[in-house]
Amino acid sequence: MGKQLFRYSEANKEKFLESDNITFNDGSTVSPEEIWHYLTEEAPAKYPSAFEVNLYQGNRGSRDETLPTSLKTRYLGLTFSARMEKAKDNGKSIAFIQGGQAVDPYTAADTIALRPGLVNQWNNGLEYGNDINKENLRRKKSKEKAFHDMSFEACQTGGYEHVQAGDLRIDVIAPYTVLRCSDISYGVEAHRHGPNKNVKLLNVDYPLRFQADKPWAIEYFAKNLRRLVNTLDEVTGRKTSENDLLKAIKLHNTGRRLGTELAELWWSADVPPTNSDDRASMVSLGNLEVHGDVQASLSVLKEAKKFIAERVKNGVKGHAVADNPKRLFILGSCVGINGSRSEDAGAIVVGRDDQWSHCSSLVEEVGDPFYNLAKATLEYPYEQSIEKRAQWTIEQIKKSRADGVIFIHNWGCNTQAAISRPIVDIIKRETGIPTYIHERDLHGLRDEQEQNRVNAFVEML
Amino acid sequence: MSVKTLDVIRKRLEERPDELRRARENGLKVVGWVGYNVPEEIIHALGFIPVRIAIGGDDRLVEIGARYASSKTCVFIREIVGAFAENQDPYIQQTDILAFDATCLQNYRAAEVIEYFFKKDVVVLAVPRNFHLDEAKEYFAHEANEFTRLLEERAGAPLDSARLAESVALYNDIRKTLKSIYTFQASKDNVISWEEVYDLIQAGDLLDKREYLSLLTQTLDELKERQHHPVIASDDGDCRIFLSGSLIPRGDRKLIGIIRSVGGRIVGDDLWSGILPHLDLDIKEISPAGVALGYLNRTPHAALPYLDLESDRRLKKLQERLSEFKAQGVIYHTLRYCDPFTFKAKETKNVLAKSGIPLLEIHTEYAGSDYEAMKTRVEAFVEMIKIKSEIAEEQGVLVDA
Amino acid sequence: MSINGNYFAGVDVGSLAAKSVILKDGEIFATGLVPSGVNSVESGLNALNLALESAGLKQEDLTYIVGTGYGRVSAPYANKAVTEITCHAKGANYLHPTVRTIIDMGGQDCKAIRIDQDGAVVDFAMNDKCAAGTGRFLEVMAGVFKVELKDLGAIALSATDTVPMSSTCTVFAESETISLVARGEKPENILNGIHHSIANRIAGLFSRVGIESDVFFSGGVAKNSGMKSAIEQALKVTIVKPEIDPQLIGALGAAVIARNFSKKEGLWAA
Ligand SMILES: Nc1ncnc2c1ncn2[C@@H]1O[C@H](COP(=O)(O)OP(=O)(O)OP(=O)(O)O)[C@@H](O)[C@H]1O
Ligand code: SF4
Ligand code: SF4
Ligand SMILES: [Mg+2]
Repeated sequence: MGKQLFRYSEANKEKFLESDNITFNDGSTVSPEEIWHYLTEEAPAKYPSAFEVNLYQGNRGSRDETLPTSLKTRYLGLTFSARMEKAKDNGKSIAFIQGGQAVDPYTAADTIALRPGLVNQWNNGLEYGNDINKENLRRKKSKEKAFHDMSFEACQTGGYEHVQAGDLRIDVIAPYTVLRCSDISYGVEAHRHGPNKNVKLLNVDYPLRFQADKPWAIEYFAKNLRRLVNTLDEVTGRKTSENDLLKAIKLHNTGRRLGTELAELWWSADVPPTNSDDRASMVSLGNLEVHGDVQASLSVLKEAKKFIAERVKNGVKGHAVADNPKRLFILGSCVGINGSRSEDAGAIVVGRDDQWSHCSSLVEEVGDPFYNLAKATLEYPYEQSIEKRAQWTIEQIKKSRADGVIFIHNWGCNTQAAISRPIVDIIKRETGIPTYIHERDLHGLRDEQEQNRVNAFVEML
Repeated sequence: MSVKTLDVIRKRLEERPDELRRARENGLKVVGWVGYNVPEEIIHALGFIPVRIAIGGDDRLVEIGARYASSKTCVFIREIVGAFAENQDPYIQQTDILAFDATCLQNYRAAEVIEYFFKKDVVVLAVPRNFHLDEAKEYFAHEANEFTRLLEERAGAPLDSARLAESVALYNDIRKTLKSIYTFQASKDNVISWEEVYDLIQAGDLLDKREYLSLLTQTLDELKERQHHPVIASDDGDCRIFLSGSLIPRGDRKLIGIIRSVGGRIVGDDLWSGILPHLDLDIKEISPAGVALGYLNRTPHAALPYLDLESDRRLKKLQERLSEFKAQGVIYHTLRYCDPFTFKAKETKNVLAKSGIPLLEIHTEYAGSDYEAMKTRVEAFVEMIKIKSEIAEEQGVLVDA
Repeated sequence: MSINGNYFAGVDVGSLAAKSVILKDGEIFATGLVPSGVNSVESGLNALNLALESAGLKQEDLTYIVGTGYGRVSAPYANKAVTEITCHAKGANYLHPTVRTIIDMGGQDCKAIRIDQDGAVVDFAMNDKCAAGTGRFLEVMAGVFKVELKDLGAIALSATDTVPMSSTCTVFAESETISLVARGEKPENILNGIHHSIANRIAGLFSRVGIESDVFFSGGVAKNSGMKSAIEQALKVTIVKPEIDPQLIGALGAAVIARNFSKKEGLWAA
């Protein structure tokens, strides 16, 4: 029906072509030229939904076209599905994990680790030619069935239906059972009755209650990590050594450091150097797992820092960001608010606790890597007691100079919902910053009610 | 058909809150516990009075609880949180210390929320999700010691091994007696109903344990006198229902009442507020870890996942009990946002279908608004079972002549 | 056999409509349909009297009456109460013996029912208590677009696109619809989206009980052609063409059961 599609302007092409190649895990590279071609020719035909100008679903008619990283993360996002298919064709093993965790052991065991959001992204990309309506319909339809196969009170289904149908070639379901997520271990268990008997299952059992202060809890989690690596090895047929893990930790520490530096650089600027979505997609590169390719994430991340430093130095403001926007810090799980529409309402998202919590947790590099990794993991700020998590969050809110805090959680995200009020209470008490708790409706499609409330909150600020 | 001791128990329950108050005035401390793997013997042996905090059925409290723990927490936990907010429950009022476990993450969150908002002294026993693995048991043993240490601090004295042995023996006797009583309710010409036994089991959450044992023994004697050899079999027109799923604590009798009102007869359960926690508890070693592991090694709670269907002892146990109690159908009760049970509903249904046992999932909360809707489902289910047996017997009413 | 003759009645007092069917010699003799009022005894009697009048009968002429639907609990005129699940099963089986699956969409409930060759229920599932996906919901939507309920389905079928609904709650869906209109989406496309979203929910319901042909669609919403088509697409089935008004199936089943009961009085008396 001829929906209007966004096109990158040729005016910025030359500058973009000066930027670096992206290097992938398998050693292959892609040049800016190729990326440009993909984004302007191939992708709009394959994925019209990603280019459709639809203000309500978050696709504005313009992008930050002079920020090469913005185009590159977009490129990685759009090619994700095809790259995962290719990885599978080449015999690479793929694991399903949890959103609130780092992926060092999976990298060590030569396994791609995908959290629920990425699994959905993989699946969405398998069908070409859809506009936004068609894509949303397709997503809702398969979710509806999955909800009945698992539980209609599941917050998300982690691609359960597609893994079980064999549409997504996932070899192993092996998430950390972090407290962040209430459903994950039941979600893993649900796979046991599906038709796909080939997929391996493991819960990497995350201990609770002052876990970081209990040596026996760290030992236990370290054993779980060993079990994880063994399970991944059973799939790949490799033998992952302690040294492999150490190497992976070092690699991921590099990513985490860069991600942290990038975020701090961004925060240091008087005017926001990018819009909300670009900020989020750059900072999340720090965990190196976001595009299913550790090296690709790293190469884009390295370059991103350079661009941001330049913008900060020259006082450049991100595309479509309002003057003196209200700075929002977002808490909660899995879901975020609509960046571009919130910008239109005069706000900008300056940080989130999700992903950031483990990006900012560096792992000690000297000593038993399993123990070190276990220790760092049990120290994730997000996973601590109410009081401790709140204190860490307050620090981040201060560093990011946020004006307001929104705690948003998915429908059915019981363990985050349960403590939303206490966390927000402490923040309000200690910072005086206004807060707001929001629940995303079932099925996770953003809607008008949500935006109305976010806008009202921004207006209040 | 009434059993006289049950009246005595009802009366003793009425007097219990006052009794607790007096005990506390005399320096004893009450530990209120909430959860599924709290090793009660340890609490008992330390000289505390253990009381299980498990209440339900009050929508008003659920609303209040939602203000603190969000509307997305399971109804049961919302009610508990609401009850702490309100502080009117006579048992909650009498608690000095709270003991929670982390079998179910929502139960764990309740501990955190209650600790934060109501400034309660809370002790938590962490529970491994990979409960069946050796390393998990080792970890759990440490947690049991830690749990004990925290309670010892509060008791002001270390746990005495001889006293622990006594407590374990007492609790073992209670469990054994309960099991014997339980058989009577499912029998032909039964003199005690499942509902009465259920209340009797829950009375044990609150009463003094020694007294409770003697009351149970009396009940059993009475039953034996009236019904020498209980035979588990149908009476005429029975529709034998087995109740499974999320717990149904005191105060919540909605579903149980509906089943009875439409002509169903409950003959068994595997609820964590019913007989299940009292089964298969084998304590091999008198120590905190020994007791705690005994708990963990029971048929596990639904919050602890089995990743392989074949090895699932929960389902095996359910199937065993269905045939033991000659059940014709399962009503699987799931509370709103109770993920441990809700996630398993469909699978359990499919597994049981293979042996011809139908399962009806009733998903509900404590509001009365779904009463009619629930009744329609349960009634249709009972009709379905009755018609099925009629058709089996002779080509029954539903077959057109 | 009763001296009164061979008249048997079924009265189905649902949340939105009361229906009655009178059977004579195994044939449908008369029917009645009225909206349910606050008083369900009265609604049931109104529906029954309507059928009696059109047949020229009096209540005493009826041998046996079975009440069903939400109003079955207060139906002093009935000899027996049976749930609408059992009745829809029996009614559909009576008309179409090859039916194995029934979708009943009424005012507040949506039911997925599986039956055997005798019309006995083997499994069933019902929607969660939320009203989205029921007749009441569609009525609200007809109100939003200011169109006649009976035209709703045809309008949806004329759509050129499907606009997905994100809300699953009636209240939210109503305001979402209003905002979809405000941003310029065409009414028929929105309505199409609503019908498909309900159909997908029903498909989800069937993942619990399974589907076997033939499939029958009963209840008032079965008269909505858009809903019928959306369900056929979502379930990948063809729905049997009903021989009578599908809204009467529950009452018909009740009448059939009334006839069976009277033959074997007491056999199935609880
Ligand atoms: N011609 C029609 N076109 C579309 N929908 C209709 C039509 N006639 C009735 N309906 C719908 O049918 C619904 C009533 O159906 P029905 O009589 O089966 O429900 P009910 O038995 O009262 O409800 P329930 O079974 O949920 O208690 C109304 O909500 C209305 O939306
Ligand atoms: S919404 Fe919450 S429960 Fe669901 S996957 Fe995300 S973190 Fe887990
Ligand atoms: S098992 Fe269910 S009812 Fe019990 S605390 Fe957990 S979620 Fe609540
Ligand atoms: Mg009806």
